[in-house]
Parts: sequence; C-alpha cells; structure tokens
Amino acid sequence: MKGRNSGQIRIIEAFLAIFIVFSAVAVSANLTTKSASSTSNGLEAIGMQALLQLDFDGSLAAYIAAGNWSGLRETLNLLLPAGVVFNLTVYDSQMRQVNMETVSNGAFNSQEIALVKYVCTSQSPVFRVYVVYLYLAVAK
Amino acid sequence: MKTAKRFRANCSGQLLIVAALAIAILIASTSIYVYELTTEKQGVESSSLVELALAVKAGVRNAVISALANITNGGSKTILTENLDALADAYMRLHPQQPCHIRYTLLNGSGYMGGVKITWSEGLGVSSAYILYTLKILGPASSMTINDAVNITTALMVEGYYTIGENETIKTVNLTCKLFNEEKPAHAKNLTIYYMDDSGAWARVNSPSITDWGNGTYSLRFTIVLVSDVVHVSVRMVDARKILVVANVTCIQTG
Repeated sequence: MKGRNSGQIRIIEAFLAIFIVFSAVAVSANLTTKSASSTSNGLEAIGMQALLQLDFDGSLAAYIAAGNWSGLRETLNLLLPAGVVFNLTVYDSQMRQVNMETVSNGAFNSQEIALVKYVCTSQSPVFRVYVVYLYLAVAK
Repeated sequence: MKTAKRFRANCSGQLLIVAALAIAILIASTSIYVYELTTEKQGVESSSLVELALAVKAGVRNAVISALANITNGGSKTILTENLDALADAYMRLHPQQPCHIRYTLLNGSGYMGGVKITWSEGLGVSSAYILYTLKILGPASSMTINDAVNITTALMVEGYYTIGENETIKTVNLTCKLFNEEKPAHAKNLTIYYMDDSGAWARVNSPSITDWGNGTYSLRFTIVLVSDVVHVSVRMVDARKILVVANVTCIQTG
C-alpha cells in the first residue's frame, strides 16, 4: 500500500513546490506595489499638509490672486522637504487654468508621481474659489 | 533495491509532516500579510480623510471671513450663503469618487441673525459670523461625519477722555483702543477716527497721533476745537482680514 502511494506523494510534493514558488512570486510582486503606493501616499500627505499650512491664514489664495507665482514657488520650496520635486497648476471654479507661468522647482524624473487636489478659497471681500493641482515626486 | 523501497516507505510519514508544516507556514504568513495590508490601507485612508476634513474647515473659515469682510463694508448678508454654496459645490465637483457633502446652518439667536452679528455700540463694537456645519465624506472603504462650527469675531473696545488747556474750546482727546480676533489681540490694518462737531455732523480727525503697543492695543491722541462739554468719538478699525468694526465712545473732561 505504502509503495503504491509513494508516486501520489511525489505528485503532491510537486504541486506543493509549484504552489510555494508561485505564491512567493505573487507575494514579492505585491510587496513592490505596496512600497510604491506607500511612497505615493507619503508624498500626498506632505503636499496636503504644505497646502493646508499655506491656506490656513489665506496666504495661498493671496499669492494666487496677486499672480505672485515666484513667491508661491519659493514658499512651497521652503515648506516641502528637500528632494521633493513639485509642479503646481491653479484652476478657477470653471476649471480654467489661472497660472500661465510654470510653478515648479524642477523636472520630474521619477515614475512615482503623487497628485494632491486642493480647493483653495480667498479671505478677501470678493470671494474666489481656486482648485489647486499639486504634483509631487521624489527627485533622483 | 529493496533497501531503497524500504527507505521511501519509511520516509513517507516524514514527508507528510513536512508538507503539513509547509502548508501551515503558508497559511499563517498569508494571514499575517493580509492583516498587515488591511491595517495599513485603513490607516492611510483615515489619515487622508482627516486631511480632507481639515482642508474643508480651512475653506469654510475663509468663506466666512470673506463674507464678514464684505458685509461689514456694506455688502449684502446673502453673501455668506453664496460663499458657502460655492465652496460646497467645488468640493462636490472635485471629489466625485469620494463625495464630500457640506451642510451648514446659520446661527439665529444670541444676537445673530442669519449667522451674522454686527453690534457697533458705545464702548464696544462687534462684527461676527457664526455657522454650524456638518461634513460628510464617503470614502471607498470608510466614511466620516463631522459636526463643527466656525466663529469669526472681530471686537473693538474703546475708552477715552479729554483734557483742556487755557482755551476751553481746544480739547485734547486721548483714546485707548483694543482690537481682538476671536478674543485674541489682533493688529489693525487701517484706523479712522471721527468726532461729532458742534453742528452734530461727524467730522474726520486728520493725522491723529497713534501709538501701537504691539499687543492689539492702540493709544490715540488728537486735538479738536469744540464748544460742547462732551466729545462723541467714533473709531473705525479694519483688521488684517479686512473686517470692519466700529465702536463709539463719549469722552468727558478729566484732570
């Protein structure tokens, strides 16, 4: 009986081996995805916090209303950690682009790009709603 | 040949144990991995929901400040609802996959009418707006409901007296003004003083002496020619948020 079953055990072993190899491949592929998405989430959080900090006292809308793009670029450079590349685009409430000048601190050479969408409002008596798209990547 | 067969037969039990162990390890590691992934995903999602809630709060605050600045400078009270509607609309359009509903209530009562209170009276002027709002964020895995309120208040306290010299009609008025934003000392962006002249009309005081103590307190001094025994003064201050507040004071002679 035992002798007859040994062939079946070999087949089970082979299946197990195949299963282990495939599951290892699947898990390692998932691990790569996981680390990439956590980098992206980290960048999103950093970008969101920078915009929140700027918006809390109305500075963000003030920069946009004044068309002070160089000032906004410098401020974001200070608020974001070194090694983070950003590109900012501002739209009005009708989604027409407001900034005709590029607000960026460098070119993106990373495949991991995070996008933060932010609704910015002005404190001035004439109320304005802007939609800010902030693209972020880690410089390489 | 016989020995090899016997060896295989003897080892089949051990093989089963090894296979069982391998399966157990696989199941355990898969369970741990899935649990970790779930925990991390939930953490990331809840932190992004919190950030979104903070962004909405900043937006609501800005909308109320803008409306109050507009109303105190002669604008219509409906501007408050217009601003809040514009903000809610922008959020609805920006996050279609993560609907973000903002519902607000304008406070009525405690001196507020339609969310706005403007009492510019003797000794104290208050320009304030108060709204209660509910924010509902529907995420793919979890949702969040927040009930919060935004209160924007600019208050001005004024005290004053006057002194006279040899000529009784020439009066030197001394005022102390304290400006507050949400009960904290605030800086004034613009300041104008008026006094009631002998004809009963408000006249603007030109180039008063202003001392800024840096803590929201301002000492004002000016000289006017007035026959009346009391000096009615009106101080108009605009804070850094462009919200106007007015307070009146009746000064009597001291010293």
